[in-house]
Amino acid sequence: MYSAQITRANPTCIILLIDQSGSMADPFSGDSARKKSDFVAEVVNHTLHDLVIRCTKTEEVRNYYHVSVIGYGRTVGSCFSGPLSARPIVPIAEVADYPLQVKSSYKRVSDGAGGWVEIPVRYPVWIHPSSDGKTPMCEALGRAKDILHRWLLEHPRGFPPTVLHLTDGESSDGDPNDIGRQIMSLGTDDGAVLLFNCHISTRRSAKIEYPTDESSLPDGFARSLFAISSRLPGNFLGAAAQLGVNAVEGSRGFVFNGDPSSIVQFYEIGTSLTGMTPYRWMDDRTELA
Amino acid sequence: MSSVKQSAIWDVQLRQLLLTKLGQEASECEDSIAIDTETCRFAVADGATEAFDARRWAERLAQNWVQRESTLTLEEFREWVATEGRELQESWNGLSLSWYSEEKARSGSFAAFVGVELDLETDLPTWKAIALGDACLLHCRGGSLIKGLPLSRSDSFNAAPMLVASDSSLHESSMPSVVIDSGTCENGDVLLLMSDAAASWYLQHLENVSGDKDPFEMKCDEELSRFFDEERSAGRIRNDDLAIIRIEITDRRVG
Repeated sequence: MYSAQITRANPTCIILLIDQSGSMADPFSGDSARKKSDFVAEVVNHTLHDLVIRCTKTEEVRNYYHVSVIGYGRTVGSCFSGPLSARPIVPIAEVADYPLQVKSSYKRVSDGAGGWVEIPVRYPVWIHPSSDGKTPMCEALGRAKDILHRWLLEHPRGFPPTVLHLTDGESSDGDPNDIGRQIMSLGTDDGAVLLFNCHISTRRSAKIEYPTDESSLPDGFARSLFAISSRLPGNFLGAAAQLGVNAVEGSRGFVFNGDPSSIVQFYEIGTSLTGMTPYRWMDDRTELA
Repeated sequence: MSSVKQSAIWDVQLRQLLLTKLGQEASECEDSIAIDTETCRFAVADGATEAFDARRWAERLAQNWVQRESTLTLEEFREWVATEGRELQESWNGLSLSWYSEEKARSGSFAAFVGVELDLETDLPTWKAIALGDACLLHCRGGSLIKGLPLSRSDSFNAAPMLVASDSSLHESSMPSVVIDSGTCENGDVLLLMSDAAASWYLQHLENVSGDKDPFEMKCDEELSRFFDEERSAGRIRNDDLAIIRIEITDRRVG
């Protein structure tokens, strides 16, 4: 299980599900200048950049991944704009070709002879921050389930889809348990759909990352999200270890009261799939000239 | 099967196989094989799947190495790779690239490499080899491994080996991982140069005491290709490009 090779004939599917409710406009605790929605949009753009680069073969992007980015707040729908906006799921080559804009910057790198040089780098942007309305989590998970159901009819074999769900609060439209379990009951011949949940918090509460059981969870909401979080397959555990994250056999793909670094690691681990080395975009960012 | 330049005593039989990953076009193969029968130099290079222009980088390394006279010391190898890398990356100048190709090209290209030179002019044939990455030279005698470089166990392969980098800043940091070695052959010895999937599988075959028949006993290349396709389909060999050069050395004086 979770060992199928990801190829153009047998691609996998990645759904990023993002809470864009009004509370996402609040800053992280201890970082009053930074809205949660701004940070999440930046991480999602870097994650999409990473997925495109992984599939780039010289001058071609191979469709190893089909990607959907769904936001939920005042409305529920695709976060993509322009030609991609009407499409529930998009092959990665088309994601590559239609960013909203490509920003240019410079990065300082070693010149190999003890000095430093600045080289140009490109940062594509696909989604802008958004924070408005309530938290229709069940409707958003339902949208993801519909996309998966249709996608799996055409792709019954291969590495199972991954859903990376990020939220900062409780659902405003009911208990997500039922719909979460429905998603986890779908799958391919290589395993069930992987649903990972990351809850982020503005409070200075202790974060809980990749627990194996419910004993450390503070309340019913945390337990509800834990219950609909898949166990991390071995490949993902390997990626977590490379990032220095304490995840063990039996750990769920679940973070509670996460901070900015939890978000970055959640996407890095969640998109490591067949055990590829996580792309540490955070390292790139800190080196920007 | 073909022969290289013969010595008075030693006969060298060659076999080579280059198979593209199942499900891909031959034009997408990123493994490369190079043989120079005059100089008795052989090389296998395996372009990194995720790298920019990996196919050309692997071809360039293998083809140009066998045509050289030495490049079997660390210093020579360092200088040669730096030149080859610079020339490869200069060939990208002027290309009109999309943002993603530009980003990819910024890291340069990567490949695993192994090259071996045979000397048949001595009482016993000797070899010298240089390797970086997980493309391997396996020296076998009577179905057992005498020496393997840079890796000699099937469980030593990992997803992120140090590779030959075209980029000058990365190139230097990979040099400490270069492995250089030499050996002496006897009648019937076999040298195998293999890219990682094939080397990992063959080392496992050698470690396995079940006595499975050596697939290279198959006389026909088509049969051998079919065997590798079946093994990859069944998942017993990782579905990857396969590059193999098999060099069998025999003493003409022995029947």
